[in-house]
Amino acid sequence: MKEISRRGFLKKGMAGAGIVAVSPSILASTVSSNAETDIICRTLGKTGIIVPVISFGVMRSDNSSLCKAAYDKGIRLFDTANVYQGGNNETMLGNLFRDFKRNSFFLATKVKPVTDREGKPTDQATPEKFLEMFNTSLTRLQMDYVDILYVHDLSNPEMLEYKPILNTVRKLKEDGKIKFMGFSTHRNEHLMIDAAAGLGSWDVILTSYNYKHANLTELNAAIKKAAAAGIGIVAMKTLAGGGWLDRERTKPMNTSAALKWVLSNPDVHTTIPGMTSFDQLELNAKLLADISLTDTEKNDLLADMADPGLFCSGCQECIPQCPRNLPVPDLMRSFMYAYGYSSPSMAKNLLEELEISGNPCEGCNDCLVSCSRRFRIKEKIADISRLVNMPTEFLA
Amino acid sequence: MMKKSFIGSLLLILFSGFLIAQDINLPELEGFKKITKYPVFVPDNLWDFIDGAADTYLALGFADLHVAEYKKGKEVIKAEIYRHRDHTMAFGIYASERSPSYRFINLGSQGYIIDGVINFFKGNYYIKLRTYSEKTKTLQAEESLARRIEGMLAGEKELPALLSRFPDDGRKMNEETYISESVLGHQFLNKAFKAMYQSGNDSFSIYLMQSGSADETLKIATEYLAAAGIEPDQLENRYVFADGYNGTIFLAWKDDLMVIISGLAKDQADIAEKYTSDILK
Repeated sequence: MKEISRRGFLKKGMAGAGIVAVSPSILASTVSSNAETDIICRTLGKTGIIVPVISFGVMRSDNSSLCKAAYDKGIRLFDTANVYQGGNNETMLGNLFRDFKRNSFFLATKVKPVTDREGKPTDQATPEKFLEMFNTSLTRLQMDYVDILYVHDLSNPEMLEYKPILNTVRKLKEDGKIKFMGFSTHRNEHLMIDAAAGLGSWDVILTSYNYKHANLTELNAAIKKAAAAGIGIVAMKTLAGGGWLDRERTKPMNTSAALKWVLSNPDVHTTIPGMTSFDQLELNAKLLADISLTDTEKNDLLADMADPGLFCSGCQECIPQCPRNLPVPDLMRSFMYAYGYSSPSMAKNLLEELEISGNPCEGCNDCLVSCSRRFRIKEKIADISRLVNMPTEFLA
Repeated sequence: MMKKSFIGSLLLILFSGFLIAQDINLPELEGFKKITKYPVFVPDNLWDFIDGAADTYLALGFADLHVAEYKKGKEVIKAEIYRHRDHTMAFGIYASERSPSYRFINLGSQGYIIDGVINFFKGNYYIKLRTYSEKTKTLQAEESLARRIEGMLAGEKELPALLSRFPDDGRKMNEETYISESVLGHQFLNKAFKAMYQSGNDSFSIYLMQSGSADETLKIATEYLAAAGIEPDQLENRYVFADGYNGTIFLAWKDDLMVIISGLAKDQADIAEKYTSDILK
């Protein structure tokens, strides 16, 4: 249709463009690039890669303009995975970076061998399947190699020496299809990192790490040991809950403070916060040049740490403390189902699985359990155990 | 009856604010043993099951996940049923993982098969089945299981209605997506369907948002314009401007619908107008 209506775009043309230049808040990216300023970088262990302290966890972004803007800000390491968005995440990055000089950015992806719930390899954790997935990733990324290949989601130290996968990744490195080999972990992190530190096989570890982590003392020690062994440390899940202090998303977290806290550990070499908006990018880009925690930021973190919330971190420290050997983490999970997720039937189902009848704390005077999250265990158990006597028909 | 009312009231007092939870009993599959050793996953522990991919699910209203494995010797089929807040969100998570190159099948609202994977969505549910087996019988059993699950779950079998407003001319089929937040990377733009188009050598994207009221649409449009430095005395309903992050943007709205076109050059207003008029007619 050639004819444009009176209200059509041609009539308006770019008349607004002149106005745009006057107060260009969404044009900020074109004038406030950090690329030319002093960006704080760290060396990623023995890889020798020098990376800005802020990298980009691309997992949720389907917007290549956002990744391009991040690059323009000076961010250089982009992190994706074979499974993110069914592979569309890798495809998006491939379409973006095909026009870039290959040595102007670093690309990390992840491939997951099939493991069971204990993190042990299954029959499907074969070199052939692993290679098939990796080659699919390379095709989507339109690259000859990736800088870092993480074996995805390892939680059992046995997997660090599982030869079928380990040898496959080594061969990929020898063949130049990957520059460095790593693994990602967000369960039993301290055990995994500590074990890897003594092996000499792994170049990089991607680990969850944040100010609310349940095993911080052990995790810090393991990270220190691994970094001393030359392993590059990349931190994920740095916002401990996706940027909100509550599930209802009414209390925003001080995300800059959370990231700065992570980077206050010199053994953490870079972070991969997820970003979906330019506002988040602008905020995080400021940290490229300044990671010093202000007093206000410290206070925000302290205030949040004082709030136990609803989520049991599952540290298991409570179990040996309870004289009745109650499954306290599971009971806390039941409490969370009921009060956090408004799902009393799910809470009751769990209580029934645990064979809870009545208040299991009944008759126990002083609770000896000292929760690392400062949960008032006895009160919560007394509260949630009332559900066992509620007819299911009222809950389902 | 009195007793039920009393208990019901008691529950209301004790657990006010609770929603109705839903339990799903996955179907049996002849010749296979069903194993449901997994817990029901909820937003706080979805990471335990799908690690970093969880963020996308959470952003699209993930409620809970039921998992079962079906075993016959070494043959394994894994079934996962993700429940999301509504049909649009279920489409959103399904579409985020689909590729137009897959083999699409008539299953639920839409589904596809690729290398031992069968994914589909129906109602508020996104269903994923996976087997690593290459045996024909196992693959057939997997498809049979998918159809049983489809029959078991209630909900719409149509695609979200707003998708039908996208013109067919030049549309890249099965590339439509739903973005729940930060459309085009802007935090003030949320809940948009996106379709990709090809016109000659030009590729561009059309975003379609329905806010629920004309006032709300006007408010969102005004916010976008203000962010671009455009604050006209008299507001019209068509604008072309440069978005520093996304290039030239064609913005238009009518009633509670808003159209954003990205990827066209400023001198391609005729193309933008053609599609905008068609969508907003």
